[in-house]
Amino acid sequence: MEEPGLREIGCEQSPLSRPDGSATFMQGDTSVLAGVYGPAEIKFSREIYDKSTVEVMVRPKVGLPAIQEKNQEQLIRETCESVILGTLHPRTSITIVLQVINDGGSLLACFLNAACMGMMDAGLPMRAMFCGVTCVLDSDGQLTIDPTTKEQKESRAVLTFAIESTEKRILTISSRGVYSTAELQRCIAAAQLSAQKIFHFYRDSAKRRYSKS
Amino acid sequence: MRETPLSSCERAFLLQAITDKKRVDGRQTYDYRNIKITFGTEYGCCIVELGKTRVLGQVSCELVAPKMNRPTEGILFFNLELSSMASPAFETGRPSELLVKLNRLLERCLRNSKCIDTESLCVQAGEKVWQIRVDLHLLNHEGNIMDAASIAAVAALCHFRRPDVSVQGEEVTVYSPEERDPVPLSMHHMPICVSFAFFQQGTFLLVDPSEREERVMDGLLVIAMNKHREICTIQSSGGIMLLKEQVLRCSKVAGVKVAEITELIQKALENDRKIRKEGGKFGFAESLPDQKITALKIEKNVVDTSNVKDKAEKIISESQPPSDVVTKPVVRAVGTAQIGEGIENTWGELEEEEDEEEEDEDDDDADIVSTSIESDKVTEKPAKKTSADIVISDSEEEDVVILQPEPQAKASSSQAPEEDQDKSPVRKTPHSKKKKKRSSH
Amino acid sequence: MAAGYKTVEPLEYYRKFLKQSCRPDGRGLSEFRITTINVGSITTADGSALVKLGNCTVICGIKAEFANPAADAPDKGYIVPNVDLTPLCSSRFRPGPPGEEAQVASQFIADLTWVLYCDLICLDYDGNLLDACVCALVAALRNVQLPSVKISEDTGLAQVDLSTKSPLKILKKPVSTSFAVLDDTYIVVDPTDEEESLATGLLTVVTDEDGKLCTIRKPGGSSLSAERLQECISRAVSRHKEVQALLDEVLLSVKTL
Repeated sequence: MEEPGLREIGCEQSPLSRPDGSATFMQGDTSVLAGVYGPAEIKFSREIYDKSTVEVMVRPKVGLPAIQEKNQEQLIRETCESVILGTLHPRTSITIVLQVINDGGSLLACFLNAACMGMMDAGLPMRAMFCGVTCVLDSDGQLTIDPTTKEQKESRAVLTFAIESTEKRILTISSRGVYSTAELQRCIAAAQLSAQKIFHFYRDSAKRRYSKS
Repeated sequence: MRETPLSSCERAFLLQAITDKKRVDGRQTYDYRNIKITFGTEYGCCIVELGKTRVLGQVSCELVAPKMNRPTEGILFFNLELSSMASPAFETGRPSELLVKLNRLLERCLRNSKCIDTESLCVQAGEKVWQIRVDLHLLNHEGNIMDAASIAAVAALCHFRRPDVSVQGEEVTVYSPEERDPVPLSMHHMPICVSFAFFQQGTFLLVDPSEREERVMDGLLVIAMNKHREICTIQSSGGIMLLKEQVLRCSKVAGVKVAEITELIQKALENDRKIRKEGGKFGFAESLPDQKITALKIEKNVVDTSNVKDKAEKIISESQPPSDVVTKPVVRAVGTAQIGEGIENTWGELEEEEDEEEEDEDDDDADIVSTSIESDKVTEKPAKKTSADIVISDSEEEDVVILQPEPQAKASSSQAPEEDQDKSPVRKTPHSKKKKKRSSH
Repeated sequence: MAAGYKTVEPLEYYRKFLKQSCRPDGRGLSEFRITTINVGSITTADGSALVKLGNCTVICGIKAEFANPAADAPDKGYIVPNVDLTPLCSSRFRPGPPGEEAQVASQFIADLTWVLYCDLICLDYDGNLLDACVCALVAALRNVQLPSVKISEDTGLAQVDLSTKSPLKILKKPVSTSFAVLDDTYIVVDPTDEEESLATGLLTVVTDEDGKLCTIRKPGGSSLSAERLQECISRAVSRHKEVQALLDEVLLSVKTL
């Protein structure tokens, strides 16, 4: 039996020239491209007087965005709003566009990671970084982190967490399926450990790009 | 979001440069930018980079019933989307003029040229045919969307494999990729679009215009050709008037360019096929260059979950266990029950009003009830009112006992709840009514 | 005067109450508003329920119909939930296509040869919509009476016999509990509309009768440590028992009719 762990992670910063910030994030076969525009001009009818308006758009590869995408958009938007220091840029808009390049499992976690790297690339002021981790529980109660599409489909419960970098506390939870409280706490602890690794990766990517040596 | 407008000095600079036969990025008049084609792990998925313009293409298929007037032909569906990340000017919602124009041109180029053999997509005549759907997403707009989109569509279609089917009488079996190898689409030829931008009323032309050049151009000529030098589609827009010689010269140039591009696509497909056959790693992750400092990859990571269980158990044992105190629900009427303490809902008026009513499932009462409802709480369902809020006066009494401390707490904060402000004076009378009833009992 | 203070500085106003561990409407931090459930009120629907959580009111109607099953689950029926947040319930909503909140609520509920069309209409919005909706849906589902179906031999079609009705087999009875995080420190249960607008974070926990969790949803907002989350889950489990007892009483009273 395989030890639980994260798949291969890859990231490319600023692959696109037009958006203010962009990032491609790959977890195994799952690949997501994030484009961030902001802070930018906003229509008067939509502006908020004391902070910036965060907008998230999730685009699937095939077909038009449906209710499931709307749900993901709301989760990601609330997560981003809580870390972005919106009060520094009132009456502006921050737009995050997430395009699915390939869906190979744990898609929501990949969206969250790509969004965070994209915002970092755009230079948006944030109070913390966050990362997404998906855990699945199969019928025996076996825990698997960062599942593939097959593992996700065969599982009993799928949980996605967004963990913030300062104190490793939980920012966002979204789950499907039935599980016990003990299993939930196990997943949270496992997610916090994986988050550690992902934050190291963010750091290494930034170091590689910005260090002078 | 709005696109930053082009300043007049930039415009003048570009036009002057073109008049001097120079391009801002150093290319020659007939030069294309670097084209890079990568394929994903799924069949039919590819990303094309034409300079910095990036397009993602995905082909998918589905078994559907054929169109009435073409029972033996498969269905093709093309969709180009200008993603909001490609340019700040692109917004979702109503399709812009540019989008409609591009989609139309793409359809003419691919569908009307009959590059895909639709007869081969038929499984059961009149019953089931394959519907091939090509979705293209523009990810970055640095000029010449049309060319990039057509290359992506053609490459994706050539790369795509559909599941194998077999028909036995009336039974249609679709084999999964594990059972039988998927089958490629049969393509007659590969039409590629080549764009020519015209400046100074047709005096100067440039092949593969960049985004800045597109902004200052007078008109655009798009020629879709295949490597056999057959023109599939030709479109001139922008209102420039071209001479016959110019158009012929453009088509000659297009022929050369299309041959180069087609060879590039073939090579990329061949590479991908070889890697898949040898069992090597393929997909977008592999195409990430190792040397770039903006890219980083790490190997599979094992997360140590040995003390996860202990940590979890510790947290659970330290937290308070769920309280077992359960408030007994109060049955108000048939089909209605209530629990809880806290703010009484403003529909409580209703219950007081009907103290005198008999509990009854009659619709007659419904009318009386609905008129006595406060105007801002009118609903269109009078029938439910009868069973909803009829109150057994005895239980009302019990509640009065419980509620006594509440009104006091509420009185101190009664200025607080805004919604209840206008209701609170009204509520006083029912309370006094209740008290009267108690004394009468 | 207090009303004036509340309009100008809503957060400060709430803080004063929170420091004393109570809320403006007189509740403690872990108390729920009065919950009222009524079932079977819509006679034209196969099942219906009306739930009032304080002032928040949601009515659910269920209609059963025949439909083609989904391709990947040919022997199961399915549920089509739809949540309607109309301007009737609050000035926050405008008429037109369902807003994001309604769509998210619809999606949230779906995660719980017949197809049941469930329409949930919010009549009065006063915070904590998800709890009321889930409660209404479960109550209505338990109230649903499906007519028996016979396949007639000659035509091969299904014949619906409306005279004999049998209740729907419900395997699990989920109950939803919502929390709001105020000021990054206080967690209150069952938030009202005002509390929701001031909240820095929201959390919804859905439990079933074995003490297991069906869904947890926490869209962004202030971060929570695992310990605080555990406290919320405990509260949700005890709430489940309360609502369960309530539902059982209600349905018992209907059956004895």
